[in-house]
Amino acid sequence: MSTREKVSDAWAMLWRRDRLSAIGLVLLAMLVLLGLFGPYLPLDDATKIAVGPRLTPPSWRFPFGTDELGRSFLPRVILGIRATFLLSASAVLITSCFGAVLGMTAGYLRGTADQLIARCADVLFAFPALLIGLLIAAVLGPGNFSAIVVIAVATLPLFVRVIRSVTLGLAGRGFIVAAEVAGASSMRIMRVHILPNVAGALVVQLTYALSVGMIIESVLSFLGLGVQPPGASLGSLLRQGSAYLTFAPWLALSSGLVLSSAIMSVNLVGDAIRDILEPLYGRPLT
Amino acid sequence: MIAPVVSLSEVWVTYRGGLGRPGIDAVKGASLEISASETLGLVGESGCGKSTLGKVCLGLVRPSLGEMLFCGERFGHLRKRRGQLAVVLQFPEWALNPRIRCGRSVEEPLVVLGAHPAERRRRVQAMLESVGLDGGFAERFPGQLSGGQRQRVAIARALITEPRFIVFDEAVSALDVSVQAQVLNLILDLQTQHGFGALFISHDLAATRYLSRRIAVMREGEIVEIGSRDQFYDRPEHPYSRSLLDADS
Amino acid sequence: MSALVEVRDLTIAYDSIDRSVLALDGAELTIEAGESLAIVGESGSGKSTLGMAIGRLLPPEARRLNGDLIYEGRSVFAAGDEEVRSLRRDKLGFIFQSPMTALDPTMRVGRQVALAAGGRPEIADIAALLERAELSDPERIMRSFPHQLSGGMAQRVVIAMAIARGQRLVIADEPTASLDASIRDRVMATLSRLRRENSASLAIFSHDLRMVGRHADRIAVMYAGRVVETGPSAHVLRFPAHPYTRALMAGAVDGARRGVRLEPIPGAPPVVTARAENCAFAPRCSARQSLCFERRPETRRVHDRIVACHFAERVLAQHHVGINEPSA
Repeated sequence: MSTREKVSDAWAMLWRRDRLSAIGLVLLAMLVLLGLFGPYLPLDDATKIAVGPRLTPPSWRFPFGTDELGRSFLPRVILGIRATFLLSASAVLITSCFGAVLGMTAGYLRGTADQLIARCADVLFAFPALLIGLLIAAVLGPGNFSAIVVIAVATLPLFVRVIRSVTLGLAGRGFIVAAEVAGASSMRIMRVHILPNVAGALVVQLTYALSVGMIIESVLSFLGLGVQPPGASLGSLLRQGSAYLTFAPWLALSSGLVLSSAIMSVNLVGDAIRDILEPLYGRPLT
Repeated sequence: MIAPVVSLSEVWVTYRGGLGRPGIDAVKGASLEISASETLGLVGESGCGKSTLGKVCLGLVRPSLGEMLFCGERFGHLRKRRGQLAVVLQFPEWALNPRIRCGRSVEEPLVVLGAHPAERRRRVQAMLESVGLDGGFAERFPGQLSGGQRQRVAIARALITEPRFIVFDEAVSALDVSVQAQVLNLILDLQTQHGFGALFISHDLAATRYLSRRIAVMREGEIVEIGSRDQFYDRPEHPYSRSLLDADS
Repeated sequence: MSALVEVRDLTIAYDSIDRSVLALDGAELTIEAGESLAIVGESGSGKSTLGMAIGRLLPPEARRLNGDLIYEGRSVFAAGDEEVRSLRRDKLGFIFQSPMTALDPTMRVGRQVALAAGGRPEIADIAALLERAELSDPERIMRSFPHQLSGGMAQRVVIAMAIARGQRLVIADEPTASLDASIRDRVMATLSRLRRENSASLAIFSHDLRMVGRHADRIAVMYAGRVVETGPSAHVLRFPAHPYTRALMAGAVDGARRGVRLEPIPGAPPVVTARAENCAFAPRCSARQSLCFERRPETRRVHDRIVACHFAERVLAQHHVGINEPSA
């Protein structure tokens, strides 16, 4: 069977078995494409002020209306999608690498390293992300970098704990013991044998951490500590729109709706990936 | 006189308890010897300590008391003993790294030894053939193989460095009846060919008796009897051995 | 006695993305009321699928292509949801390989047995049931959680639950495989006794030929999704009529004679993707003829057996393979 046929068969199976995840996948794909190529669409400039009258409701000319500076809101939302995804994704990707290394080390080497890493992760995990966010923003000052650091610190324990637990489960398996007996070094075992087998759990956690990251970023930006103007993320747009909730509700509604869809679609896709890679019972989807 | 491949004298393995719990003696005063080209069977109920004893023989667990000698010398570090030891474990589904091709799994011990790629490839092909699989299996992933085939690949990996000693820990227990026979015959033939010493750990007396010249019976950490295969079946000395035999026949 | 269960030409396929595999290829079997039947087969023989099919417990990717399964005269596959639920609850008892998967780890044992028995049983009734399953100190066991029991004790609880409602058929899938060798026989004996006391039928799925020979009246051997031989267990094991049964026992390590090399069956069982129009065992059969590759052997009666082999009479006439004889 050609790859194309396999992909279309897989899609048909997904649609039949788990419609919600299929919808989530479509939604996520649309949002990501918008975020990537949106700025190149023939729309108004997102930062150009006074393109139209201020605070006009949605119309054909301005699909999401205009904000208090007369900027068309739709291109700003698209900018927001891009910023939200990029910030969260980059933070989470970096964190996943560190988290995986720490988790594997703790889970395979055990002993003092495990004690240290696991305890620190637990302590970090116990702090509410918001508190950490405020602390870090206070130290580093508001901005993109600050948001990335907060997301990284808040999601690191997630990765460490999950990868550690998967590694613990792998440690007694035949091929690992065989490698030890053959005299392979711990580094080699972690790189060749453990890493490829925790990759599945890592990907699942990545999607979950991504949605957590997006929420954190939005909250920070909503509080004014994340993305600063003239840049925009969905959270900062929500902040902007909430000031005019009574007489220009479309601002908050549109940005809020897009934000919720983005988070929901990431969660749905994450669930679907998890069902494929780690089924709870019975056979996996494939 | 050639020293036995593995010899244990009065080996104790104690796991320390923590926080007020008493320690556990997994192995109590075990002594045994295994020579080249010989298989020693080790039987007993689950939890009797046979796997722990196997790990001691492989150098994975250090005795708390007593001495373990490998080819007459102190064991030293596992890394020093690269290529001299191997193990084949129970569950075929975890015997091989599911993410790498079988050929790469088999050549792993050679990579650790630093052999050249061309040499490795040659020996992998030769080894796969001698366990009854054609060379094409090197390119397949473990998920495409049956349980019996995976155990064969695991055996190929175990033998690729011509080790002096192999531990088989319940290596055929999870296999189908007809596949068990194939794999047992394979182990017999390979031992005649390569001359390794082996410890065959199992709860299945029938399989153990088929492979081993001598058999040791373990109970609650102690070796209660060691005897030749024949002696063991005609006149088992310890009442525990008798109860195990009765249960099985 | 009319048959309790009738499996008629049952064909079941499992679908995956790129292909379908037949787990059952026209399986035929009957289970009589009050008898104990052992179903023996290796991986890929279809025995697990058959066991699950009786209670219509197949996973969603299993598809019935042909045939039917009749329980007490009614089709299991055509039954409505309520009827199937009542079938599983009241008529069938299940015993699986690992007692820990059958028992709820968060519920005390006594309560689970009470739920299995249905109605509002008294503590004394439950204790009596557990005593019948040879569990001493039933009150303590009723208060325990599953993880506090040993494997053997937990399996005895599962056995008690399987007959608690007077179920007429107990389905046991490798019931002693995860127990220590020293207690297997005793747990098996308890199961046999209990089901006989209740006049229930027992369908036991296993690969352990020796144990099965001791505890089952009849034995059915499965290969490549078909039932290839059925008959009284003592006879089948000593005088097999199907080459596969014969080869299976000749190659079983527990029948090995001292100093005699085992003769395993060469090759491996086939993966069946379509109805076999010839004999699925032929490529590995030592008695194969050209007919075996051309025509599908139908199940037919030969002496006291039902066999699917063109040359069953010839096989029967050969020397028997005795696995219960002492080693020479």
